[in-house]
Amino acid sequence: MDLIQLLIIVVQGGILVNVMLMSSAYMVLAERKIAAWIQNRIGPNRVGPWGLLQSFADVFKLYLKEDIVPAAADYRFHALAPVIAIGVAITVYAVIPWSGPFVTIGGVEYGLSMAPNMNVAVLVVLAMTSVGVYGVALAGWSSNNKYSLMGGLRSSAQMISYELSMGLSVVGVVLVGGSLNLVELIQGQIAHGWNIFYQPVAMLIFFITALAETNRAPFDLPEAEPELVGGYHTEYSGMKFGLLYLAEYANILASSAIIAALFLGGWDIAPFIDEAALLGLAPSSPPMVLIGMGVFIAKAFSLVFVFIWIRWTLPRFRYDQLMALGWKVLLPLALLNIAITGIVILLLN
Amino acid sequence: MPVITIDGRLIESAAGKTIIEAAYEHGITIPHFCWHPALSVAGNCRMCMVHVGSHKKDKGGTLLFDDNGRADVAWMPKLQIACATTIADGMVVDTLGKHTMNGQNAVMEFLLINHPLDCPICDEAGQCKLQEYAFNHSKGQSRFDEEKVHKPKRVVLGPEIMFDSERCIMCSRCIRFADEVAHQPVLTFTHRNDKVTIETFPGTEFDSPYSMNVIDICPVGALTSIDFRFRARVWEMSFTDSICPGCARGCNIKVGIMNNEALRVEPRTNMHVNEYWMCDYGRLTTPDVINQNRVNGPHLRADGTLILTTWERALEFAAHAISSVKPSQIMVLGSAHASNEDNYALSRFAQSVVKTSNVDFIKHIDHEFGDAFLRVNERAPNAIGAHTVGIAPAHGGHTVDELAMRIRHEDIKILIILEDSAEAHSHELAEAVASVGTLIVLSSHMSVTAHQASVLLPVAGFAECEGTFTNILHRVQRFEQVLSTKDHPRTMTMKNSRWDKFGAPNDRWTKGTRRDVRPGWAIVQDIANIMGAGWTFASAKDVFTHATHHVSAFEQLNYELIVQHQGAVLGKTHHPEKNVPVYESHYMKPQ
Amino acid sequence: MATVKTNTEAQRLSFWERIYLPAIAKGMGLTLRQMIRPKFTRQYPEQRWNPEGSYRGRPVLVLEEDGERCVACGLCSRVCPALAIEVRAAETNGVKERYPALFEINMVRCIFCGFCEEVCPEEAIVMSKDYELVFGSQEEAILGKDKLLVPISQLRERLEFLRQWRG
Repeated sequence: MDLIQLLIIVVQGGILVNVMLMSSAYMVLAERKIAAWIQNRIGPNRVGPWGLLQSFADVFKLYLKEDIVPAAADYRFHALAPVIAIGVAITVYAVIPWSGPFVTIGGVEYGLSMAPNMNVAVLVVLAMTSVGVYGVALAGWSSNNKYSLMGGLRSSAQMISYELSMGLSVVGVVLVGGSLNLVELIQGQIAHGWNIFYQPVAMLIFFITALAETNRAPFDLPEAEPELVGGYHTEYSGMKFGLLYLAEYANILASSAIIAALFLGGWDIAPFIDEAALLGLAPSSPPMVLIGMGVFIAKAFSLVFVFIWIRWTLPRFRYDQLMALGWKVLLPLALLNIAITGIVILLLN
Repeated sequence: MPVITIDGRLIESAAGKTIIEAAYEHGITIPHFCWHPALSVAGNCRMCMVHVGSHKKDKGGTLLFDDNGRADVAWMPKLQIACATTIADGMVVDTLGKHTMNGQNAVMEFLLINHPLDCPICDEAGQCKLQEYAFNHSKGQSRFDEEKVHKPKRVVLGPEIMFDSERCIMCSRCIRFADEVAHQPVLTFTHRNDKVTIETFPGTEFDSPYSMNVIDICPVGALTSIDFRFRARVWEMSFTDSICPGCARGCNIKVGIMNNEALRVEPRTNMHVNEYWMCDYGRLTTPDVINQNRVNGPHLRADGTLILTTWERALEFAAHAISSVKPSQIMVLGSAHASNEDNYALSRFAQSVVKTSNVDFIKHIDHEFGDAFLRVNERAPNAIGAHTVGIAPAHGGHTVDELAMRIRHEDIKILIILEDSAEAHSHELAEAVASVGTLIVLSSHMSVTAHQASVLLPVAGFAECEGTFTNILHRVQRFEQVLSTKDHPRTMTMKNSRWDKFGAPNDRWTKGTRRDVRPGWAIVQDIANIMGAGWTFASAKDVFTHATHHVSAFEQLNYELIVQHQGAVLGKTHHPEKNVPVYESHYMKPQ
Repeated sequence: MATVKTNTEAQRLSFWERIYLPAIAKGMGLTLRQMIRPKFTRQYPEQRWNPEGSYRGRPVLVLEEDGERCVACGLCSRVCPALAIEVRAAETNGVKERYPALFEINMVRCIFCGFCEEVCPEEAIVMSKDYELVFGSQEEAILGKDKLLVPISQLRERLEFLRQWRG
């Protein structure tokens, strides 16, 4: 690896992190706007045209706010927790195949993805979501506040319960695609049609578990306001709170992108159609790749919209309902899905 | 004694009494405006009209009853006024029946025809007999559509009295008071019919020293105090029972305060002392005595001027000074202005802590002040009390009269003076006091002597602590704490106004001055304890209880007894007087 | 063994009801429809709301051409359940002998119940339409006569309302 290559990767990473954090900030605005529309309101519209600068104002405000650390808190872990949360959320972005390669510099092809062809990308995603729970659990524990601790504990329990189903639902997709490489899985979908048609149950399970993993309604028990004040981030303020908050939205975007990659054909425009031939372009020519990138991002953000839409529609689960759904419904269903998929693949072969 | 029936109750009362008197003795109040127990009967308001009859008897003299067992009554065809009808055996009076009510309602309607109903402006509102009866006896709406009669408003009857003829209901209480109680018959009705008004005779004015009592007895707001006009509504003030400090008569008073400032003084009925009255002097000066020229916080003299200091340092200074000289070189002056408790504590201090026999107090005699009615020449409220509790030179002790000479000869090096000014004794003493070695002054007011003090300890005035005075009739009377002090808030009583009850510390109307003063006995105790006496009085009541064991005249006394019997006469403490019903013409309603 | 009759949620609901998905879809459809419906939000500082005469806003004192109506009777102060009103009277030479030398309403205490208006014998204190009450400090929230006196022309609607409904 020479210096230019390193520089390019740094620049590439810089662009990706900034764009994604910006997206997270704007997702907060989107969340508020969509919530307002659903409630027949207008939503933020004072800062900039249609309130578009609201996110900047919010982040700016968080920067200027006093950073309060409770006297009885473990200040080291209190400071570490938001870093873990946001760090893990950003790390996942590295393996998401936002686009195929479209630029060649010094004989090496580059796209928007940092590690596009990683052969264990799916496992990295699962691993990172597992590590993500540390941020929340640490935040809850280090605050030395009963509400924070409850929030952190609930979060851990919830993530452990739903991670199993999530992992098992992905197994179906891996069986169908025959690979743990996300790019290969996408290319397989372009060739054979999207996984949503082959693995609808896995898609459903993955989507539900993704809601749970990102602590979104109706699974937002870790921060259930009526019971736990602010949940694990009760004792956070200023930019530490801002990081936890952004991490949450970064996780949503990551989950959406992974659903798009695993089930919705990644950068494929439409299933069962050879768009490249239709447009008269080579499948991996730069224009085609750029269109694909746009399509992928559009799919990801559509799923983000669904996340938000669900949040403002469905009421929160009770804790026992949450556990019952995870262990009694989703886990058996995921196992059944693997079994049937395996049998079908075995029979077809 | 004749036995009569009022509203079904059998009542026995002395012959010659009127119905209204007999009823009042037994707790039945018949509505009235012009009747007052201390004044002659005029019978001109007609408000006390009641249905009167007599129990029928057969020829053998047996009382007759109807089939239901009720008395068979021969009712008089017309209503009679209860204030002018004397009782007779077998009389039956109905004060609540329909017949009586119709009569009284009609009287109210007549009275209200020309009454301007300017209650929002009127100072009497809230304690007005007309308002009170308007609730019970009137429809709430007037049938009188015509223009009301206009008569003179804001007529000055005397230096303290403002008269509003429109509000007047012509009960003549004020005219009779001027004539019979104040003995200055200058008020009279003039004109006729609805134009009738009250005037002073030409060339006279109603300036009796008791003139302001007509404001209290006026059942409406026709007579108002020029001094007080519009200063506060009656319900905004908290009234506390106290004793007038103006002279040794010790008239019972109520002090009205708002925002920790005394605004108004009213007489409190005590048939043994002042009946229903008090003099204008006491009424007008008492609020100023309470509010003006007060000492706030302990002071020490440094470089020739009095500097505000802490209690600890001031008390230390006093105690150290007292310990530094021989007891015979110390003179202790009690006070006729201070309570029995303060004087008792001081006399004990002189006897058992300082161990001096030089104890005395300054007498305040003003030969100009007294009169044949309430005012007496002894101007301080507690001269008898001070003497009784032991403020007197012990065997061989110096008296206050020789004090000036003793100071000049340097026989007296330290003077402890409670609540008084040497000026009051003589000019000679005032000059001598200025040259005494150490002058320890316990004073509530910035008197001449207070200005000369080496250490000035602020005493709670009579309005800032509780205690007792012994008046010229040897009657021990209790006064309660009126104002809050810095470290002793006014005790919460039901007499507190809403503002005093519910005000929060950040409300403007609770931010009146709370002076940094302590009761005299407490200051004396503090000094005594620094000198190792080990006293443990927690309240004025403790001091008084202690005094009852050591002062023979106070034997058997206690605060409850004094309050219950409106005071107790020294020497007769074993046989307190029988309680008599206390008539109050009108008071704030609802309380 | 006797069979116990039960009526659990699982027994009552059909399969589709039990898995909730149709109900969730229905709910999602409902919220989606709401998103495109007209909004009710008022753009406040630009679009102002003009209340009816019946609205109970900040209590104010009526100022007539020849001066204030208030005679400082103190009834508003007496009736105020929150002790928000303080009145100090003084004497004048006018027909009404009394006027408020000091009239203060502590808007931090005021609960807008309107008792002061109801009890006022002179119709001198009325509830205005003023609902924009912003204070920088507790002291600032105590409104004196300078802020309380409002010309009668601005209070016509409220006075009309009172005349109509008081009877």
